[in-house]
Amino acid sequence: MLWKRQIPILIVAVIGSLTLFGWFVDEPNIKSFVDDDATQWYDILASFAIFLGGFNLLKLQLQKVLRKQYGWQYSLFAIGGFFFAIIAGFFYKGNPDVAWGTHVTAKGTLFKWMFTYMFAPMQATMFALLAFFVASASYRAFRIRNFEATLLLVSGIIIMIGRVPLGSNISSWFILYLLVLISGIAVNAIFKNKQYTLGIVVGGIALVTLAGNSMGWPLDQPGLFYLPYLQEWIYFFPNVAGARSIMIGIGLGIFATSIRYILGIEKSYIGE
Amino acid sequence: MNDRDFMVGASGITLAFLIYWFMGHPFFIEERIVMFLAIMSFSGTLMFFIRKARRGEEIFLREIPGLKAVEEAVGRSTEMGKPVLYVPGIMDMDQVETVAGVIVLGHVSKMTARYETTLNVPVSRAIVMKAAREACKESYLIEGRPDMFHEDMVHYVTDEQFAYAAGVNGIMVREKPAACLYMGKFYAESLILAETGNSIGAIQIAGTASQAQIPFFVTACDYTLIGEEFFAASAYLSQRPELIGGVKGQDMIKVIVITLILGGVILRLFHDMGMIDFSILEFLAVR
Repeated sequence: MLWKRQIPILIVAVIGSLTLFGWFVDEPNIKSFVDDDATQWYDILASFAIFLGGFNLLKLQLQKVLRKQYGWQYSLFAIGGFFFAIIAGFFYKGNPDVAWGTHVTAKGTLFKWMFTYMFAPMQATMFALLAFFVASASYRAFRIRNFEATLLLVSGIIIMIGRVPLGSNISSWFILYLLVLISGIAVNAIFKNKQYTLGIVVGGIALVTLAGNSMGWPLDQPGLFYLPYLQEWIYFFPNVAGARSIMIGIGLGIFATSIRYILGIEKSYIGE
Repeated sequence: MNDRDFMVGASGITLAFLIYWFMGHPFFIEERIVMFLAIMSFSGTLMFFIRKARRGEEIFLREIPGLKAVEEAVGRSTEMGKPVLYVPGIMDMDQVETVAGVIVLGHVSKMTARYETTLNVPVSRAIVMKAAREACKESYLIEGRPDMFHEDMVHYVTDEQFAYAAGVNGIMVREKPAACLYMGKFYAESLILAETGNSIGAIQIAGTASQAQIPFFVTACDYTLIGEEFFAASAYLSQRPELIGGVKGQDMIKVIVITLILGGVILRLFHDMGMIDFSILEFLAVR
């Protein structure tokens, strides 16, 4: 129990306190521990742990192949890739002129070839999938179901159009005319009266036309309806306000969690 | 430690610090005193509420739908006879979100042990694998089902971000888990994972403090624990009074922070109008 409970909690408390309060202390040894040594210790531990991970991966994939479990054929690629990377990294450079160590980045080596022609394209393929996933996720998010989804849709469209060159060519008067028509739809939906709707639409169009004529139809005036300005306002004010409030919550969450670990109140990480 | 001892200890530490400060505070970086005092007072607030909760005071914890749904998701998997997939993010144990993810895993594995449901935890870091295994092992032991625990339920895939995403997607498509839980630190792979989970019809619950990934999870998952909710998960799932007290303390700190923000805005306004010389921005700047 001492080794599995008290000692881990003590290590967390001591190292946690040292790292936290070391930031306030002007002492070179503590400073170098907090800034360098602690992270290097972690890196050393992680380097050893990678063997555990690698063996676990290999064991599971081999088991799958030997037991001919569902999808075992894919495991052959995993095992093949595992050994190929080890051979290219530790045993065969493929270019005798390049020294060991630099062979992972130097041109003309097997490892570099593997990285450039196998790893990078496969990684790019996975990353490229994001474009399709963003499209399908956006479709779901932008479906008009309630007020919030509508708000999201409208602000999303404004941001998207306002950020591309096309957006700066759309006159704010066009947006105003569009708003008049949308108001007409809203009035019609609420009152279901053709005269009201006609009045709003005709009155609105006349008002916008008169205002446009008097102002000389400037592209970016009134600024409130010019998409590049509007998107900038949405991006820098409501968006930043929301993001910062989430950030404050996250910061406090991290702080409270860290304090709970340091004080030994949270012990779930050792299974308690 | 009773209240009297606690107060004596806290007063002693404060007095010791004051003596140290008035003696010239050697080695202390003076410019960071504001941050130091903030940390100490916030820690004090947390401790106060934790002690209050320990004494048995009733603390209200609002219902978090995402956490309530965790048990529902495990139950659904049991009914369908399909596994639960748990992804503890792609970062190492040096990230507090990963640690929080492993803690939530401990609670989830208790549920899977109780319901006799298969749990699958692919991880992207070897140290996380060890920590997650320990958490699961303890949970299965606590639930009296050590026979159901096997080490390979937590298995390593790869350190590489997109290779990991591909590996987990493969598991999803082949095994078709009924519930997918994503709790930890995520980057661009979040949407790849969540959309694949969505396509197989799994109930999905995500929890992360990675701000940029929250919208993706909100879009693709059934429930999302946003930021601090994720860190409150352990308190909510364990219902341990000291952890719930910590959440209450966190909320009180938030009230203090909001008050300070409002006070800061007013002070800044007075400074900009030339009414006072004191600059709050100078005072709060972290050096």
